Amino acid sequence: MTEEPTSKRRRRLLASIASAGLVGVAGCGGGGTETDGPGGDGTDTPTGGNETIGDAEFSEFRGSGALAQGREEISGTRIEDLPNLEGELTIYLGGGEGGLYRDLINKLEDIYPDFEATPRASGTADAANTLISEGAATPADVFWSVDAGSLAAVAAEDLTTELPSDVTDPVPDEFHPNSEWVGTAGRARAIPYNTDALDESEIPDDVMDLPGSGIAGDMGWAPTYGAFQAFITAMRITEGEDATRQWIQGMVDAGITEYANEFFVSNAVADGELRAGFANHYYALRVQAARPSAPIDLAFTSGDAGALINVAGAAVLSASPKQELAQNFVRHLLSAEVQEYFATRAYAYPMIPGVPPVGGLPRIDELNPPEFDLAKLSNIGPTVDLMREVGVL
Amino acid sequence: MGAVGDAAGESAGVRQRLRRFLGLDDDGVSTPLVLLSGAIAAAVLSPLIWLLLRASEVPTDEALSLIGSSGDVFANSLALVAVVTTASVLLGVPLAVLTVQTDLPFRRFWTVVIALPLVIPSYVGAFAYISAFGPDGALADALAPFGVQIPEVYGLGGTALVLTLFVYPYVFLTTRAALLSFDETQLEAARTLNVGYLSAFRRVILPQILPAVTAGGLLVALYALSDFGTPSIMQYDVFTRMIYVELNSFGDGRNNATLLSLQLLTVTAVVVALESRIGSGEDSGYGAAASSTAMISLGRLRWPAMLLPALVSTFTLALPVGILTMWFVRAEALAYEVGGRAFEWGFALNSVYVAALAAAATLALAIPVAYYSGRSRARFAWLAERATYLGYAMPGVVLALALVFFSSNQLAAWFGPSVARAVYQSLPLLVFAYVVRFLPQAVGASRSSVLGVDPALLGAARVLGEPPRRVFRRVTLPLIAPGVLAGAALVFLTTMKELDTTLILHPTGFTTLVTYIWRVQEGGYYGRAALPALVLVVVSGLSMIPLLVQGRDK
Repeated sequence: MTEEPTSKRRRRLLASIASAGLVGVAGCGGGGTETDGPGGDGTDTPTGGNETIGDAEFSEFRGSGALAQGREEISGTRIEDLPNLEGELTIYLGGGEGGLYRDLINKLEDIYPDFEATPRASGTADAANTLISEGAATPADVFWSVDAGSLAAVAAEDLTTELPSDVTDPVPDEFHPNSEWVGTAGRARAIPYNTDALDESEIPDDVMDLPGSGIAGDMGWAPTYGAFQAFITAMRITEGEDATRQWIQGMVDAGITEYANEFFVSNAVADGELRAGFANHYYALRVQAARPSAPIDLAFTSGDAGALINVAGAAVLSASPKQELAQNFVRHLLSAEVQEYFATRAYAYPMIPGVPPVGGLPRIDELNPPEFDLAKLSNIGPTVDLMREVGVL
Repeated sequence: MGAVGDAAGESAGVRQRLRRFLGLDDDGVSTPLVLLSGAIAAAVLSPLIWLLLRASEVPTDEALSLIGSSGDVFANSLALVAVVTTASVLLGVPLAVLTVQTDLPFRRFWTVVIALPLVIPSYVGAFAYISAFGPDGALADALAPFGVQIPEVYGLGGTALVLTLFVYPYVFLTTRAALLSFDETQLEAARTLNVGYLSAFRRVILPQILPAVTAGGLLVALYALSDFGTPSIMQYDVFTRMIYVELNSFGDGRNNATLLSLQLLTVTAVVVALESRIGSGEDSGYGAAASSTAMISLGRLRWPAMLLPALVSTFTLALPVGILTMWFVRAEALAYEVGGRAFEWGFALNSVYVAALAAAATLALAIPVAYYSGRSRARFAWLAERATYLGYAMPGVVLALALVFFSSNQLAAWFGPSVARAVYQSLPLLVFAYVVRFLPQAVGASRSSVLGVDPALLGAARVLGEPPRRVFRRVTLPLIAPGVLAGAALVFLTTMKELDTTLILHPTGFTTLVTYIWRVQEGGYYGRAALPALVLVVVSGLSMIPLLVQGRDK
């Protein structure tokens, strides 16, 4: 199954979503009209109690869109196997996926009546700079941020405590370079392409080969978008400034089209305006979720900046007097249910191999990201200078 | 004997010089007023200490190369400031004249509408312009079949245009306040001498409203200098972008950012000092209570004249809101899952509540400083007033981080963790941050009104036996009310939209309209920002009515 080309597998999966047979199994409301009601429905669903994916608890965490249907078998530590959450916890959020993280915290509070979490959200850099300014006086117990650089910055100031190995072990090493923080969900750089206009085999395996590949002129990108700049930063560090400058110049010379953000890029690919583009993987999935028949698919390059995976992650702050509760909270973030939540609602890459990403994408341990210290992504200054030099900013 | 006499004489001389430095002999200036003004200035300058501490950690050679590398962006920043300030004056002053001195229909309505763009956050306004006129933008696409080519929105032109459209109300509101206090009998006198309106405007009105126009222009200039959002979205390379990049680079970035902020503050100090040379008004007293009785009849142009404010508000209000609505409709059509608690009306209530608190607190602190510096030409009065402007040019993130450091780390070290816990992330601290940021808006608007008060009137009141405090309450305060209220309006509107300090310093669980808009935008759900942005505009508009309708009738 896993040797099968991913795109084929996905297409089959998407096709199976459409068939009514599988939809009922998910047990979160049945036939296509279900709404996202946490714990609300379950009145008229005649599920036979499918042991792994029809579980009532999973349906609470799982999203409701077409992509969340027909999930493969899921494994990993279940919430019921974890110690209970009891007490109050202050959580600094860096970002927060438009409120999805708050929703998750609310769900955990519903499960544990004695657990009360207080989230405070700001931008990832703001949150990290706030924590660093607070130092030992921070009221926060946990720092949970959508950007690895912000976590590394706080860890570098000796403000975090090491996580026990049972917390970090299930997560591949590259998503917790040390034990100071651990990745909770990933976003992969990808090349969304129009399946009517392009075959996956026409997309080079090496991102550096793209300018001369003949498709560059029909591609789109969003140079002002943060994740794109992170991708260029990774290229600058792994390939060097000159190669990166030439790469950008090559794409510009080929006639690449500029968009305001990567959701627009992905939409333009689905509409056939573009044959391919540069975007975070989940934008194509958002398009797919809205238009299941859209001719869009994802290709991944191999071992280079184009295959970079940046992660959201969590750290326990050393100033917190609630070390055990904070660690247990992080354990919950890596439970099968919560990983399923990130996968099916944010279309993020789950961090544990037991939970597959939606849309038939390769699992986290099947991707081939570059060897790269994610903390270096925060060094965007030279990247911006370089992009300005070439004239794309 | 002689030595003692000398010493006595010398100390008398020192005391004399000190009194002159503090302006204690000036009319209406008392020791408590001087002390109060000095304390207020010191309080709003206190976050600077953090900047100095952090910046001093940057090694000298790095500091020099950092400052050296900022040359180009510096020139860019100054060009932006010059263009935006000039354009804002050209837009704000005519609109103020139109709504105060003419018989334009629905003046009350237009007054509110013209002031409102100030409340549109730059990340909403600039994003709307990019998605309308940018590459692949909605309007650019719609007009392309008709052969209409939209000019490039990126760069100096686009940045200056968008900034001007959303900050000209500074000039509009301060100028309006001065015009309201203008004694129309002077204009009638000019008319009887057969002087046309334009000529009268130049010779009689302009000199009197000039302090207000420059006060507004200064606010525009400093805003343009310190704005993060618009230049970065419109891709114009200015000074604040360097600060932003450093702040997002962690490590030494934070210290570098403070160093660059200090550099920005130095430029601000120069601008503020220079402005006082043109700005500080001549003794052009007016003694009329606020009035906006129509002085100019537009005649047949009365209705067509509405085209100007209508056109301006099309670009400042209708377009951004329309684009947001379009996003909203698109998002609904795409129906992707949206997390987070849904929009609550309580967010709007929180916004109004905290903005009203900020306006009230700022006003209470602005009046002493404005009155002192308006009445006295002493060096110290000048310093106290000008000092309040520095906080305004401090980028919001930097100010917020300074207050984070003081109220958590430093307070815990000095007074123990319980004190720090009480102060940090509390509403009073947030309001204090707003005061630091926005005090000059209220000081500038109020001071130009104080300058306009004819000292002879106060003298007359004193001669009639009124004690100074009552003179202030019964004569000065009513006369400066339009300026003071304009200042309150400015602070209210800018607090409503202030994002950075609110995000970092808000009491936990206290969600406002802008923090909600940020939350959904940050997740990429632009459409979800439409409703709260609309609410922001409408609620601000309604809240403005009591502030802006004063002086309608005599």
